[in-house]
Amino acid sequence: MIRSNAMCGGEFGKRELPRSILPSLSLTLSLIAPFASAQIESFSAVDDEMLNSPATGEWLSWRGTPAAWGYSPLDQINTENVDQLQLKWSFALDDTGAIQAAPLIHDGIMFIPSARGVIQALDAVTGDLLWEYRPAPPTEEFINSGAGTRAAVLPAGAFAGVGRGVQKNIALYGEMIYASTETASIRAIDARSGLLVWETQVADPTLGYFYTAGPIIANGTLVTGITGCDRYKDDVCFITGHDPATGEEKWRTSTVARPEDPGGDTWGDLPLRFRAGSDAWVAGSYDPQANLIYWGTAQAKPWARAVRGTDGDALYTNSTLALNPDNGEMAWYFQHIPGETQDMDEVFENILIDIDGRKSLFKMGKLGILWQLDRETGEFIKATDIGYQNIVNLDPITGQITYRDGMIPRIGEELNMCPSTSGVKSWRAMAYSPDTSAMYIPITLNCELATFGPTERQLGGGGAGPVRRVNYHHPQSDGNLGEILALDIPSGEVKWRYRSRAPFNTAALTTAGGLVFAGDWNRTMSALDADNGELLWQVRLATSNQGFPISYSVNGKQYIAMPVGTGGASWSGSLPRELAPELSRPRNGSSINVFALPD
Amino acid sequence: MGNCMARLKLVAALSAAVCALSVSYAQGGTVWDGVYSSEQAERGEAVYKAACIACHGQDLGGNSNSPGLVGMGFMFLWEGRTLGAFFEQIREEMPTDRPGQLPAQDYVDVVAYIMQANSFPVGDNELPYDAEILDGIAIAPKP
Repeated sequence: MIRSNAMCGGEFGKRELPRSILPSLSLTLSLIAPFASAQIESFSAVDDEMLNSPATGEWLSWRGTPAAWGYSPLDQINTENVDQLQLKWSFALDDTGAIQAAPLIHDGIMFIPSARGVIQALDAVTGDLLWEYRPAPPTEEFINSGAGTRAAVLPAGAFAGVGRGVQKNIALYGEMIYASTETASIRAIDARSGLLVWETQVADPTLGYFYTAGPIIANGTLVTGITGCDRYKDDVCFITGHDPATGEEKWRTSTVARPEDPGGDTWGDLPLRFRAGSDAWVAGSYDPQANLIYWGTAQAKPWARAVRGTDGDALYTNSTLALNPDNGEMAWYFQHIPGETQDMDEVFENILIDIDGRKSLFKMGKLGILWQLDRETGEFIKATDIGYQNIVNLDPITGQITYRDGMIPRIGEELNMCPSTSGVKSWRAMAYSPDTSAMYIPITLNCELATFGPTERQLGGGGAGPVRRVNYHHPQSDGNLGEILALDIPSGEVKWRYRSRAPFNTAALTTAGGLVFAGDWNRTMSALDADNGELLWQVRLATSNQGFPISYSVNGKQYIAMPVGTGGASWSGSLPRELAPELSRPRNGSSINVFALPD
Repeated sequence: MGNCMARLKLVAALSAAVCALSVSYAQGGTVWDGVYSSEQAERGEAVYKAACIACHGQDLGGNSNSPGLVGMGFMFLWEGRTLGAFFEQIREEMPTDRPGQLPAQDYVDVVAYIMQANSFPVGDNELPYDAEILDGIAIAPKP
């Protein structure tokens, strides 16, 4: 399958001239010095048809398919034999940043994003390294350019860059791996060799822009959403479409309504520079029949209305956007929480399911409300509040949100709110099984005494805004911080709950074997019966489970892969420390761990 | 012998100075009293760049997951509390991936750097690694 060769070092990374949209930042491209240890010969190019309908054992998109179910049709590992699972191999990932990896599988090869731009290709059966792409340390020229002031001026080996170099997912298309970076660029890497083919600087990292979400492919366009939009600047957050062959930007759609645009008045009279937030920090989904991508947006910044200076809806924050991938035009939007005011994000994954002949989109945000929309029109269909929040009232007929009395924060006044700003739900994606018609949702249970404070309203200022916090256990939690919640789809009725002292810290994975896999902060990976939530198997790993577990098969054998790692949002460490202080995790140990039945 | 006496005198003088400092802080010192030195802030900046900047940013402004450490946001979170409380929170919880694992002096140095970034005045003495003294220094608005 592979051919060893002597390719190593930077020169091989410059096979083609890289591209740059921002000339002043083009220096970044001279930094790249990937390591390549082997040439993969059996790799077959990935086309749209393969992406949209992947072979059973493949995992070609970050959540398996463009519909983002997080479901594997494999059933070799099932409820009868899952207790026999064995570790087949493990591979250490980069430990200089945060890991929230979503691996991909193609032709028996695992492509896995690691921290700080590192990507590795591994033999999915043996765990052997096939190649590694690792950006080189910045040059003095780059540092002096000012382009890397957030990251590149740091000492080698130090944590650098806001977000600690998270790259959640990568995309696979043609013969390339596509990645987005902590310095707001997009890279194309040769999937056979691990060598850089092009890099495009999409935004200026000195303004705070960076990526944590990776790209997706939709109808031949590379689409990705930026984050780091919290500071005041003369620009707003956006989603872009690119030519996968060259990186050329085809379109750019703002995720914030500009003053002169339709909906621009939803920010009151705030000028463009004070319209912050609406970050697009979780990758979207794609419906090839409708030819629409679905991408979530985050809250407005600063978080509290009183701090950002408007009570308006603040379009298109906290919305689901349906965009044409060919030109970026917005087919529709649905704003889940107009004028959101407590950091209750709705940016997360969009799960596309056809229910009773209706093409639907399911989504859940931090409040723990499961939304069902018509994904062709954006029409509201149904919403289910799972009952852990005390902030809003939901009209189940119209989907309209209204804030409960006293729950719109005022500067300096304490609010008692559930959930805390960690959210009932976060980036830890839920999974859908067509076999059980159920959604499996990683839940975090806790509440917070929160006092929101002011920020400077000036260029470079803003941000999320300060919050004094006192976290406490959710009154319905029995002292547990974690839960896997199974909801019937589309009724929204609770099928079962599985709770743990530690918060769950990964996406859920469900399989045709009747299983749900997830991992917690306290190093425990679990397999549950998808029908009833019964615990069937557990294992302790090196450090916190963190990322997106997957399943795949090679030569007829099924595997389960679980990423573990440190880093992540500050509260992912502070919550256990404050509310479950008997738990601890090693500061190192980032790795991918692969399990299978005995041979 | 002479050297020994000189050393003893120096120790006595330093002890007296530390006692005086402690008394002064205990009697209501604030961050506006010149409680750190520029050299210490310089050391703290190096610590900050190595261990803190990734989350709190080069301008100490923070991001969605990490509070800002300067300006209005910092004062909102810390005004009315003491440097001791600030120091203890940093020492116990930071960096989030390895809380409490920096050398003790690094923590107090990085507090000095944050004081400097907030334009609290520089003084002649270093901020000591002494909880009692730090507890006597209030984070207060400009007098």
